[in-house]
Amino acid sequence: MKKSKYIGIKLWSVLSGIILIVLVLYINSYIFSKGACGLNINFLLDSPKGFPLGTEGGIFPAIVGSVCFTLVACFFASIIAIATAVYINFYCTNKKICGLIHIVIQSTSGIPSIVLGLFGYTFLVVYLNLGISLLSGGIVLGIMIFPFIEVRVEKALGEINNELIYASYALGVSKSYTFFKIILPMCFDEIISSIALAGGFAMGATAPIMFTGGIIHAPVPKSLFSPAMALPYHLYILIGEGISIENAYKTAFVLLLLLLALNSFGILVGLLRKEE
Amino acid sequence: MYKRLDKIFNIFIKGLTFSSIIMLSFIIIFIMKESISIFEKVSVFEFLLGKEWDPLGQPPSVSIFPMILATIYVSLLAVAIALPIGVGSAVFLTSILNKRMRKILKPSIDLLAGLPSVIYGLIGLLVFVKFFEVHFDFSSGESVLAGGIILSIMILPFIISTCDESMIKICKQYKSTSEGLGVSKYHMIRYLILPACKKSILAGVILAFGRAMGETMAVMMVIGNSPVFPKLFGKAQTISSLIALEMGGAGVDSLHYHALFAAGFVLMMILFLVNMLFHYMKKSIDM
Repeated sequence: MKKSKYIGIKLWSVLSGIILIVLVLYINSYIFSKGACGLNINFLLDSPKGFPLGTEGGIFPAIVGSVCFTLVACFFASIIAIATAVYINFYCTNKKICGLIHIVIQSTSGIPSIVLGLFGYTFLVVYLNLGISLLSGGIVLGIMIFPFIEVRVEKALGEINNELIYASYALGVSKSYTFFKIILPMCFDEIISSIALAGGFAMGATAPIMFTGGIIHAPVPKSLFSPAMALPYHLYILIGEGISIENAYKTAFVLLLLLLALNSFGILVGLLRKEE
Repeated sequence: MYKRLDKIFNIFIKGLTFSSIIMLSFIIIFIMKESISIFEKVSVFEFLLGKEWDPLGQPPSVSIFPMILATIYVSLLAVAIALPIGVGSAVFLTSILNKRMRKILKPSIDLLAGLPSVIYGLIGLLVFVKFFEVHFDFSSGESVLAGGIILSIMILPFIISTCDESMIKICKQYKSTSEGLGVSKYHMIRYLILPACKKSILAGVILAFGRAMGETMAVMMVIGNSPVFPKLFGKAQTISSLIALEMGGAGVDSLHYHALFAAGFVLMMILFLVNMLFHYMKKSIDM
């Protein structure tokens, strides 16, 4: 009698756990099984062909474009994010300014990605005349992942033992020297892994680059000012316009593989340094 | 020598920080500025509560009430589906599985969170929408329901991780005591853990709701995109998909363009409020 009283809870939690496992397995195996069959080197190294574009051929420009977008985004975002985190942790003595910076970062992280894309289109593409390019798309993606990196780096810097830093200051060592020789080596792995994770986030985003950098068909980008293809946008076009479902599966598979590689790189960096 | 280097570094850090903060505030102000000019032509009341979206018609009418409704509807539906599964999974992870199994299962949730939304859209379109079309007698499978289901999978990780965090804390606190008293595991879950987690469950729901509202691609691909009043089995259009679809065709500085900016601004403000609520909740839990 007593035992049956809780059978509802047991059933509920086990059932939802099973649903969760099934979902994860199903989604991943769905993409992997559908995408992996028929994938060959030619698909990876060809550019899209056929009419409408994408019915035949590969996705090489899209792969390169995606990687370029991610690199540009990570470059911009990590520089300002690390600087902001360092400033808040080691330079800012006024609590009000710290609070203000936090509020601005909070509100930026609350802007939906499509509105950021809208901003990028009007301000960067039209007003600043950067054109639909790798640079504008990268900057918008960078703004999108900036709060993500900043919060993680700030947390990592905050967890460093303060005694060491105060000891260094007390010995008369300058702030910059302390930063490069003590602080940076201590949380280098954290910083790299958060940039890698944020890069994965940027690589999968479509909405911000729809109007700022991604176009339906482009060759491999030659400079920062040329537009580029991106895997998620290409995927969206392939499905949205009903061009080729088969190629869409393959594109999704490649995108997942890239993300997986990026994420495992981030985790690996952390593991390797801990073993030393 | 070092002193000069120190100074340069100092200025570098300060300059970068302040320029980035100014830039971010500029974005918010810019969006506000671009959207305000619509209200010279259309009243706020009409923009928010009118029924028709036809920016290119004669005379043009721009009202985003159906889109606001659809956005909230889809997100609420997603939360309603994800909530029981999410809380149940959190209980499953923390209390029922042993440590080793937990270590295997936990990263798979990150896997779910790391999938790009386009891939969710692909699955929604090719699995759920097709399923509705084949097995039920829908005129079209693209519906609010499909959007809700896809979104609920996307927000599941957020609900699980917020609940999981506080459940572990509470478990650690009371486990030995309640085991010493001979209380069964399920009694502890029912009368101790779940009531104590009420607040963090609510926080998780708020966070997930915010995420669901801002989502663009996955919803856009399965919801059908017609600016009508949302019904569970009918098509609808969310604010973000409205912007994504129509921005390419709107000329800079036209009424259409300002209306889209204003729609984005409304969405931003709603999300901002939701996020503030989340942080307020989170703070009160930590204390």
